[in-house]
Amino acid sequence: MAAGAVAGALGALLGIGGGVFLVPFLNIGLGLPYEISIATSLMTVIATSSAVSAGTTGKNLINLRLGMLLEVGSAAGGLIAALTLEYLTKRQLYFIFAAVTVAISAIMVSRLDRRNVMPPSVDPGVLGGRFIDETGHEVVYRTKRLPVALAASFFAGNISGILGIGGGILKVPALNAWCGVPMRAAAATSALMIGVTAVSSVPVYYARGFINPPLAAAAVLGVLAGSRAGLHFAGRSRARWLKLLMASVLLAVSAIYFFRAL
Amino acid sequence: MKTTDSALSRLETHLGRLLVAGVAVSAASLSIGLGLYLASPGSNDSHLLLVGGLFVLMATPMVRVIVSFAEYVRMKDWFFMATTIVVLGVLAVSVLMAIRRL
Repeated sequence: MAAGAVAGALGALLGIGGGVFLVPFLNIGLGLPYEISIATSLMTVIATSSAVSAGTTGKNLINLRLGMLLEVGSAAGGLIAALTLEYLTKRQLYFIFAAVTVAISAIMVSRLDRRNVMPPSVDPGVLGGRFIDETGHEVVYRTKRLPVALAASFFAGNISGILGIGGGILKVPALNAWCGVPMRAAAATSALMIGVTAVSSVPVYYARGFINPPLAAAAVLGVLAGSRAGLHFAGRSRARWLKLLMASVLLAVSAIYFFRAL
Repeated sequence: MKTTDSALSRLETHLGRLLVAGVAVSAASLSIGLGLYLASPGSNDSHLLLVGGLFVLMATPMVRVIVSFAEYVRMKDWFFMATTIVVLGVLAVSVLMAIRRL
């Protein structure tokens, strides 16, 4: 439960599920089978998604249209992951995951001071949005390179179902760095999306007996408590620190999976 | 553009309420279920509450997509209506595969 709380706080802060911490904890720390670890983690991803999104509604941070469109990709990716999990070797996946997270981390750091913000007079278009940021200024943005966003969402959904994470860790940097979506809007939109992503694979895992109800309940309650704390901090910290925090989280996760693959 | 903006804001508010309700019901059911489980492991009541809580948790994002669909129909936004149907279709396949394996 304590692990759930810590994972939930970090997940809420970054707009990602806490799975990147929870899966290694359950799998390596508690010695639970891999399948049970990822299925439990995906349950907590749903909880994080609903709780965090409920807390951010009303600020126009969540881009509902973009989110729904990208869910086509992420849900399909999640479903395919659930149906193909048994045919894949985990070793190769860990290597791919480690490589991808390192790459994204590097992109994040290289774009630390880039702002995806336009003058308030710009029409954001159908997939863009506007919101009031933490300093009270209006932020307007357009979504660029939609195919890239869709492909990233599909890949994130797929990785989500296989590694038991929300997938926001892949989507948020992609949306922010390549598609022109400001960090906060990307995180809020991703937080809403990961619930649907997880729900596209969790029922299959449930049916296969990978969910232990008391364990899943403890993890979910821990993550819910943690995500409240994370949300409290998210409103106060600056976008630059969010990016730096996320880059270091990615590096740590990458190292964990790299060593697991060896 | 203004009318759609306000319609989207209204949808966001609806979805916010739905998510709060889903999380509250599921968290209550899971905490009571976990409490009962710790008091007497393997009891029928605790199992029912735990599984019920997990089902409400899984249903919340699905209901969210259904509510969005209804809202896009009301806005006569055909493109996003179609998008939402595709997402619902993927979720339906997932649930059907799960039921077949149970």
